[in-house]
Amino acid sequence: MEEGFCAKPIIMNKQFIQMKKIHLLSTVILIFLITISCSKLSEDPAGALVSEQFYLNQDQAIAAVTGTYRKLYETGQSLYNSLFQIGVEMATDDYEAGPRARNAHVRAISNLTHDASNDRMEQLWKQSYDAINASNVNIAKISAMSSGQIEPTIQLRLINEAKFLRALHYFNLVRWFGAVPLVTSPVETLSPQELFVTKAAENDVYELIIADLKAASALPNYKNYGDTDKGRASSGAAKSLLAKVYLTRSDWSNAKLLAGEVIDKEGYALFPEFSDVFNIDKKNGSEHIFSAQFKGNSGYQGNSLASRSAPADIPGINGDYADALHLEGGLYKSFAANDKRLAVTFTTGMLSPTDGKYYPLAKPQFNKYYDETVVGNQGQSSKNTPIIRYAEVLLIFAEAENELNGPTLEARNALNAVRRRAGVEGVLASETKDVFRESVFEERRKELVYEYQRWFDLARRGAVYYVAKLKAAGKTNAAARHIHFPTPQRELNLNPNLSQHPDWINK
Amino acid sequence: MKKYGVLRYSTLVVLFLYAFGIVQAQEPKPIINASLVGKVIDATTKEPIQGVTVQLEAVTHSVQTDNQGNFQFVTGQKLPFTLILSFLGYEKKRLVVNSSPAVIELTPASADLDEVVVVGYGTQKRRDLTGSVATLPDKLLRQPVSSLDQTLKGGISGVQVTQTSGQPGGGVSIRIRGGASIQGGNEPLYVIDGFPVYNQTESTGVGSGTPVNPLASISPTDIESIEVLKDAAATAIYGSRGANGVILVTTKKGRAGHVQLSYDGSFGAQNVLKQIDVLNAHDFAVLRNEALYDANPNLGAYQYRTKAEIDQLGEGTNWQKEAFQSGKVYNQQLSLSGGAEKIQYYLGANYFDQDGVIINTNFKRIGFRSNIDANPFDRLQVGANLSVNKTNAQIAPTGIVNALLIMPSTATVYEANGAYTLRNPFENIFANPIATLKETTNTSQGLRILGTSFAQYRILKGLQAKVLVGVDLNSRDDKYYLPSYIYEGAGTKGKASLGNFDGTSWLNENTLNYTGSIGQHNFNALLGFTQQESKNDIFNAGAENFVTDELLFNSLQSGSTIVRPSSDSYSWVLHSYLARINYNYANKYYVSASLRRDGSSRFGADNKWGNFPSVALSWRVANESFFKEIFPAVNDFKIRTSFGTTGNQEIGQYQSLSTLYSLNYLFGNNVVAGFAPQRIPNKNLGWESTLQYDGGFDISLLNNRLQFTADYYYKKTKDLLLNVEIPWTSGYATSLQNFGSVSNRGLELSLKSRNLQGRVNWNTDINFSFNRNKVLTIGEGASSYISGNYIIKVGEPIGTFYGTVTDGILQVGEENSKGKFTGNATPKAGDRLYKDIDGDGQFTTANDRTIIGNAQPDFIFGLTNSISYKGFDLSFLIQGTVGNDLLNINRQNLEMFTGQQNASSDALTRWTPSNPSQLYPRAKLDPAPVFSNQFVESGSFVRLKSLHFGYNFPKEWLQGASIKNLNLYLTAQNLLTWTKYKGFDPEVTSGSNVQIGTDSGIYPAARSISAGISLTF
Repeated sequence: MEEGFCAKPIIMNKQFIQMKKIHLLSTVILIFLITISCSKLSEDPAGALVSEQFYLNQDQAIAAVTGTYRKLYETGQSLYNSLFQIGVEMATDDYEAGPRARNAHVRAISNLTHDASNDRMEQLWKQSYDAINASNVNIAKISAMSSGQIEPTIQLRLINEAKFLRALHYFNLVRWFGAVPLVTSPVETLSPQELFVTKAAENDVYELIIADLKAASALPNYKNYGDTDKGRASSGAAKSLLAKVYLTRSDWSNAKLLAGEVIDKEGYALFPEFSDVFNIDKKNGSEHIFSAQFKGNSGYQGNSLASRSAPADIPGINGDYADALHLEGGLYKSFAANDKRLAVTFTTGMLSPTDGKYYPLAKPQFNKYYDETVVGNQGQSSKNTPIIRYAEVLLIFAEAENELNGPTLEARNALNAVRRRAGVEGVLASETKDVFRESVFEERRKELVYEYQRWFDLARRGAVYYVAKLKAAGKTNAAARHIHFPTPQRELNLNPNLSQHPDWINK
Repeated sequence: MKKYGVLRYSTLVVLFLYAFGIVQAQEPKPIINASLVGKVIDATTKEPIQGVTVQLEAVTHSVQTDNQGNFQFVTGQKLPFTLILSFLGYEKKRLVVNSSPAVIELTPASADLDEVVVVGYGTQKRRDLTGSVATLPDKLLRQPVSSLDQTLKGGISGVQVTQTSGQPGGGVSIRIRGGASIQGGNEPLYVIDGFPVYNQTESTGVGSGTPVNPLASISPTDIESIEVLKDAAATAIYGSRGANGVILVTTKKGRAGHVQLSYDGSFGAQNVLKQIDVLNAHDFAVLRNEALYDANPNLGAYQYRTKAEIDQLGEGTNWQKEAFQSGKVYNQQLSLSGGAEKIQYYLGANYFDQDGVIINTNFKRIGFRSNIDANPFDRLQVGANLSVNKTNAQIAPTGIVNALLIMPSTATVYEANGAYTLRNPFENIFANPIATLKETTNTSQGLRILGTSFAQYRILKGLQAKVLVGVDLNSRDDKYYLPSYIYEGAGTKGKASLGNFDGTSWLNENTLNYTGSIGQHNFNALLGFTQQESKNDIFNAGAENFVTDELLFNSLQSGSTIVRPSSDSYSWVLHSYLARINYNYANKYYVSASLRRDGSSRFGADNKWGNFPSVALSWRVANESFFKEIFPAVNDFKIRTSFGTTGNQEIGQYQSLSTLYSLNYLFGNNVVAGFAPQRIPNKNLGWESTLQYDGGFDISLLNNRLQFTADYYYKKTKDLLLNVEIPWTSGYATSLQNFGSVSNRGLELSLKSRNLQGRVNWNTDINFSFNRNKVLTIGEGASSYISGNYIIKVGEPIGTFYGTVTDGILQVGEENSKGKFTGNATPKAGDRLYKDIDGDGQFTTANDRTIIGNAQPDFIFGLTNSISYKGFDLSFLIQGTVGNDLLNINRQNLEMFTGQQNASSDALTRWTPSNPSQLYPRAKLDPAPVFSNQFVESGSFVRLKSLHFGYNFPKEWLQGASIKNLNLYLTAQNLLTWTKYKGFDPEVTSGSNVQIGTDSGIYPAARSISAGISLTF
């Protein structure tokens, strides 16, 4: 079309040259002809995609869901790449802001002086909803694809992967913030109806989570994914997370049912050695049900937790030391000397990769993500962060069974499997239900150090338990409201339909 | 391919018009039956003038004088003749000639009123202007600076120029009549020989530090004049790009006859204006001991160094001294210009080489220009302006100035074994800045080819058709290498990156221009269509893990880790229709109106087109007979007023579309490509539009020796392109919308005075500008939002600092009563106290903030004086900014007193139990940085910006050597500054719209002195 317009006047020029006398007319005509432009005003980005051009075939649908996985941690301090530690775990008895934590907001969380304008908690909210929106877009757009565009089995799988991710993020949100807005479809216009949402009751949020995870239970078993798909959400991941959802809601029988199903039918097993959980060569192995995937020094993303807990002044390590062990909480001392987890979880001194000298540390530091293959910037650690792993499923089973039937053999076996792998004695059969409950919690604490679980475990026991534990650890500012996070002030300012969490009003 | 269709086509049109000229040349000539010969000379120097147009009244026929000033007429008329003589720079003369040959004297134009001023899509005489158009005094054009925008400092009222980096070839930020846009661009549009360019840097994603100013790829030595268009009457013809003002740059042209070979060379040195006082090694060690003792009292008072060791320490390393140097500035220009009656040329070559005041930073430019104008045939005028410039810069990496300041003075540049000290021993994020500077390769090489060519054809008397095509090819290669033996490269065992930017912009303008008179009615009309398209490609790649540092970035394949390459491509298109009419009656009553209709690809589907009209009225009161009688001393007096709308389309590309962005993830330990949604689409996204009213007058007194111009303006920018914050629950943080409005109003005064004329010539130019900026609305229901250390608040100007207010220091015994005003969980004597702004009985950083200053000046001024006596000439520019505040981030870093990093020498008076200071807090290992009024300082300054002293050798001395002119000169920049500002230099800004006036590790400005020679043959 444009080519045609552009070519025509050139032919006419030759004729004009013949006609001396009408140069005025010819010039005017020329001027007007040239105004037929050959460039177009419509935008057609060459280096970026527009959503209308997307979700047209199977590869695009897969790429869209891949992008949503990445929202587990996008850039910088992001959900499963340190934000959980900085924005959540600091508010527990096991962690504190390290000497290099420069952000006053992080120190506030560590001291329990945070408020509704805490920027790390804002990020929790923001990044979770960002991931939820991406999932919503995936679910809506992929559902609308025809069978000519995508193979129905892949279509269903992708929708269920998106649902799994959506459930995971809502599960985090509802535990942190209590009642939260429940957005289940993509936001496509700037209308007040789409932007100014109201909070849904916690129960409604959980209903969506449970429905999504039930749907996601139809995902393939992890063994049925090919090598290039390792790390995707699987049926086991959905069921394990669902077990955890029920556990959080004290729905013991469903928690036991789901955890049992994972144990019996999904084909997972503990690694013989605890250290293998964090062995780079054993990523996505039999114990890893669902993990945030990292790969450092490859132009991709490293796990920055390694750097945050690493010491700052050992040559060649260059850590941040922004996360520190809260010694008063007693976590380190609670490990038995022969516990194999101790050396994997903590370090008390390090060998400099540059000068070969050994540097003892003033106090133990976290070591799970320290990647000895990396020289220099530990931010390039390639270790995955487990989101849920088989050891935790065993502990979920033990806890649920104990709540239902007391410390039965079944409950003890599940707990002791985790303990024995760590090289420590099993619990005694004589433990009462209440003692056993605490044993399970202590085991979770030790097994899952630096895996983003402590705050959730404290908070789900209720305000009294949480406050007592923190006060015992010297964090005297702890109060009942701290088992929830305040709804970010920014959101309250922007959205007239939103209200603060009742415990946080005027705090 | 199709984009080049217009280009190709336009070239054919140009050729076609040439062909027309051939046809025209065959038209019959006038009948010869009488002749007149004569000579035209300069009335003062009595030298012949070449190129003067001599015209017989009532006849279209005209001739030009030759290089001896002679002309010859052949005509059908008889003596006496009435001749009209005109030549640029001389007063037009009309006289009756009774005899032949005749000697005619032309007087140099005494006032600037007859000066021809370049305006949008044309030229006008200054006296006929209805809009606000200022011309940069040509004295300021010859400063030895790397880019033309730097010459604007202090020269023109209403134009504020601040440095964003002192890096050689670094940038400046320009605001004409205040900044209005919060998120769009605020920089003016530059039009270089008719080609509109924005001075924006496209990042290749490679390298570190302040990028090279794209305008540095145009040699300032080739510039003939710079005009600044300020009000809507002048800028509305640039429509959607006119809102921030327009700077018209015209390069040098040849003149018929005067074959002139010129050489100008200068050589100079530049040095940093000052150093910041920091602690020496002894004092730093004392501070660190104190901080460590405070953190761990059980480990004793000498944890870092013992008393004896401290006594040995002395000065330690002065990191600033290690990094600062005296840098050379080397500028050479060779040009040849001249021509004959039908063709004129200007050929210029330039070489500019500047070393920074920081080691291993520099900027070089080499280039040439060729400007040719020709009248091949009577009705046809053609011209081509082409410049090719290559630039090469080595850039100071980001954060280097900050690192120089805070690197402990106890650390050394090298270890005992001769290797570099890797980093600050106590802070892992700061590398050894000297190693960084010396060993990092961080270069940016640019090649810019900017050219326009036109053909102008006279269709009828007064009616001209013009076709202009232009192209701007702008490419850049960024190269970056971090060797494995410095800290930044150690982790990756060397890191190499290469980035390439390739920008192509083409332009086609087609205009019809009519000038005519009917009796006392004078008209000028313009009609046109223009189109511009720009396409930009970016590519970068890199590698890490090298077995040798020898190969730098020249062998990416030898790195064992390949950094994921990336590329991007984007383009924009602008289509415009324009029309303008200037009318005056008897040179007394002027009316102009213009309209531009712009269509831009950048905006939403439903909002692509915008109209930008303007209207202006002026009254040349001095031409009224009654006025001349009452005020005989007034030579000219003109009252002007204008009103119009301009736009701003600088929002980047694809902002209205629901684009996706690339976001990868790992499956099976392999990186897999993914995408995620980027924004909510906004089909209604449109222009920012600025309504501007201007009222002013120009007056000339006492034989034009005093010329005074005053303008009042009011600018209201509405539909601000704003990233409006939306609830995060939507999945997005912001949405670009047209929201909010900002106003700028101000007063501009400028005075030109010829104080003395005769043996001693003394001219003074003074300009004062007052601008008041105010945020009017920022969207429905919103009254303010905080952006870092700033607040955007209705009723307040942009650039308002928002932070805490200090309230002395907590003293011993006050821990319980005042401790809650320290913001620390465990307050301790010596902590800084802050005011409890919200009155809740305690201090929190988030809630106890208030407005603590503003970066907008009360007024700015410039004062240029030039004095000449015999062969000597002296000129200087004094420039100042009054009433603005600056945020000194360097100082905030230096007042942490952590003992982890160096501190300002004010740390010597810090709080200790024995020195209960109320000004400076105690040493503390890990204080949280709090932004307070402590770091907001007055940024007012007055400075001797430039000084030029030259001597012109008498002509009689030079005749033997056939030299026309020889001038020796000394020139200096930033020679003296009066300010209370504690940082390196008060003339700084971060360059961002909102965070104006932030001085954070900016490459410091320099003082430079050069000596030069200027020779003309």
